[in-house]
Amino acid sequence: MAGADRQMFWLLVRRALRMKLARILVVFAALTVGAAIVCAMAAVYFDINAKMSRELRTFGANFYVGPGDSGGLLDEDTFNRLVAEAPPGLVSAATPYLYGTVRTELQKVVLAGVNFEGLRPLSAYWQVDGDWISVNFDDRNAMLGVKLAAQLETGVGREIILTRDTERKKLRVKGIVEAGDTTDSLLIVNLPVAQEWLRLPGKISHALLRVDNGQGQAEVWAKQLRQEYPELDIKPIRRVSAAEGQVLEKIKGLMGLVALVILVLSTLCVNTTLTAIVNERATEFALQKALGARHSGIVLQIVAETALTASAAMVSGGALGFVLAQILGQAVFASSIEFRAPVLPLTVVLSLLVALIAVILPIRRAVQMEPARILKGE
Amino acid sequence: MNNNDIVIETRGLTKSFGSVIALNQLSIQIRRGEFVAFMGASGSGKTTLMNILTCLDTISAGQVLIDGQDLADLDEEGRRALRATKIGLVFQQFHLIPYLSALENVMLAQHYHSVTDEAAARKILTDIGLGHRLRHLPSALSGGEQQRVCIARALVNEPPLLFADEPTGNLDEENEKIVLGLLQELHGQGRTIIMVTHNPDLGAYADRIIRLHHGRVVE
Repeated sequence: MAGADRQMFWLLVRRALRMKLARILVVFAALTVGAAIVCAMAAVYFDINAKMSRELRTFGANFYVGPGDSGGLLDEDTFNRLVAEAPPGLVSAATPYLYGTVRTELQKVVLAGVNFEGLRPLSAYWQVDGDWISVNFDDRNAMLGVKLAAQLETGVGREIILTRDTERKKLRVKGIVEAGDTTDSLLIVNLPVAQEWLRLPGKISHALLRVDNGQGQAEVWAKQLRQEYPELDIKPIRRVSAAEGQVLEKIKGLMGLVALVILVLSTLCVNTTLTAIVNERATEFALQKALGARHSGIVLQIVAETALTASAAMVSGGALGFVLAQILGQAVFASSIEFRAPVLPLTVVLSLLVALIAVILPIRRAVQMEPARILKGE
Repeated sequence: MNNNDIVIETRGLTKSFGSVIALNQLSIQIRRGEFVAFMGASGSGKTTLMNILTCLDTISAGQVLIDGQDLADLDEEGRRALRATKIGLVFQQFHLIPYLSALENVMLAQHYHSVTDEAAARKILTDIGLGHRLRHLPSALSGGEQQRVCIARALVNEPPLLFADEPTGNLDEENEKIVLGLLQELHGQGRTIIMVTHNPDLGAYADRIIRLHHGRVVE
């Protein structure tokens, strides 16, 4: 197309858009909503693995390592090696447990030795009165289950005295734990204290871990470990890890469905409005044909008008989608949503696809118009 | 009559819409430079004939030659090209693009013919007395002025044939005289003009009247 004719082409496109501004704004709004929803849903979709995993972690451990069929105890070193050799980033928290019965001045209690730094992220749902023990080497403080605290009639800041033969060990109660399970009856101390007091150095009863399971990695790693450590009982805790995957899939499916429905509605709206525009401009297209316009020229004109509107809608829809994604992120995950690489191309492709599908029938209608009949006013 | 003088010829032209025959075995000849009026009552076939001669419609049977070119040999693209290069169209309802100025409406015909030439478009509008209305939108022009823009658009590519379908049908008496005077002037310059009308007063301006009745030439 020569310069002057390119100028005439764009003059037609520009003026036509201005003349049908009200209807073009409807098309723009429909495409903007479509682009915004696609952008927001795609942003959340691609960011959800990280977000959901983080959310689901608060529900506790999802991986168990314990002694095999023979029962008994396992070596702490074995557990430490197993965690150290895990693929980077796979294990986000872990704690060994060593259980045993000990005497206090008042009654026998069940003692649990743990790694507090690993326990805390696995037990975010615990209600703690007082404070957590924040370091592994703290051998002066203990945490107490709420039921046991009631039995012992003790509380935060008071002392519990362990007795063994003639030995006594003072522990200060730093926090009272309400977990809603057997934890509520435990006296929880750090692992070295438990190993020493139970005379089981280097031993643990089992261990609980939290393993990233966004794509079912927990089961894969468990299989691998079972081959390497056949003497151990190694398994994902299915109730949590399977649920994690299912919830993820359901949420992703729901978001995909919402985006699809919005896109379909958007397509219908754009199609209806463009058809109305073409009908209103029937005489104009008929005249252009009568003057010698090619079908391709008419098609190009409608496509250019739609593409310009769609481009503007993609920009505003993308911006709106970004805001919407942040609102969703804050409302559902209490954190911002990162824009992953596929979000923008996906938004552009789907928005263009909507515009393309929506414009097919109006273009067909414009091409099939018979100028003789339309110009005669039939 | 020299064959080179014949600019339009139909031989046994028939056009039917389903079972309705709009044009029946029509054979006519129009000479170069002639001012011809197609006349007849509604449904006589005059508009159908004009649509065929302007390549906006196709025939059912027979033969049509425009400037020596058999329309049967042309595909859609060929008919489009012939329309753009050899035919100027003047409509009863003017059919100007509402969002283009008078000048841009004329340049639109150039755009679909070959390339736009603002100077040529400006000159032709000035020649027909619209030099002061170049930048006005159709909505700001009177009916007569709109029809003159329509005539300028039809003439700007200098086609050998000018077709006018009820060119004064929407005009008052004063503007009718202006437009008819313009057509006569163009005829005087040697242009071939084919006018469709049902108005005998307009027919009187033509060199020759081809009267149609039920798709046939009656005199």
